[in-house]
Amino acid sequence: MLFLAKFFRTVFLVDLLKGMWLTLKYTSQPAFTFQYPTERRPVAPRFRGVLRLQVEPETGAQTCIVCDQCAKVCPDDLINLGGHREPGHKIKVLDYFDFNLSRCSFCGLCAEVCPTKPVKALIMSEDYELGSYSRDAQILRVDEMYDGVPIERYTR
Amino acid sequence: MGLIEHSFEDNFITTKLDQVLNWARQSSLWPMGFGLACCAIEMIATSTSRYDIARFGAEVFRASPRQSDLMIVAGTVTKKMAPVIRRLYDQMPEPKWVISMGSCSNAGGPFPTYSVLQGVDKIVPVDVYVSGCPPRPEALLYGLMRLQDKIRKESTVLGPKKVIMAGQTEPIVVGDGD
Repeated sequence: MLFLAKFFRTVFLVDLLKGMWLTLKYTSQPAFTFQYPTERRPVAPRFRGVLRLQVEPETGAQTCIVCDQCAKVCPDDLINLGGHREPGHKIKVLDYFDFNLSRCSFCGLCAEVCPTKPVKALIMSEDYELGSYSRDAQILRVDEMYDGVPIERYTR
Repeated sequence: MGLIEHSFEDNFITTKLDQVLNWARQSSLWPMGFGLACCAIEMIATSTSRYDIARFGAEVFRASPRQSDLMIVAGTVTKKMAPVIRRLYDQMPEPKWVISMGSCSNAGGPFPTYSVLQGVDKIVPVDVYVSGCPPRPEALLYGLMRLQDKIRKESTVLGPKKVIMAGQTEPIVVGDGD
């Protein structure tokens, strides 16, 4: 009897049809591929992209107070920054801010300790398009670090 | 191309041999999936239908180096794995390219230790470094497009030109090569 059932299942291709039916059920659904270069998926609110320096939104003044806390907290010593005092100013002026992106594990500790208020000087931005042709290009200098620096994107 | 472009009737294209070859190369990059750590998961995600690396002609992940053009080194390269990577790279037929994916294979990542290779470019020439820990699938696709940009600049038949890896924005073509 068991043999007969197996025989009929084989002759009438029951297993094949079952599989085809499963495939057919999915074909009616619309494709859910993200057409990446043209369509950008919104990132999660807690997403940690590349490190960015923020300035005061209205005036464009520097918010970083050169306290060196981000450089101290970084587990891999990737941040190197310095500034100098000017006679008239109360805060230090940021001279250089080198961020070695190549080793960064995007833990966000540097942005977490940043003490400036209300505008945080250091944030983890939403930029994730980071591809470079050399390791030298992965060390971001201060002019490449500001928030809103245009990132080369593909539109094709 | 030059003077004779658009001077013929429709459905008739004039082009350079280099351009045709580069077009063919850039649009059928067969990667060798070299998943070594967590970046491999993102590499696999890139090949799923959500991100669909097949749109760039790079969906055929080969298990054999003899059939692949592109090595995506995804993950921490330990010193035990390094000779294997070099050997597999040597077994790949020319032309071949390497994408270093993630902080670990870029520079060693958070492992400055005795057992981890500090950057895969110490053993194989890397064309594109994709940063991230791990990079999003979009970031890998971005890296792939950067590589396609580079391949487009290469010269294959007429006077081989060397494309060196320089600059964040554009691959720079230098000299007449070797």
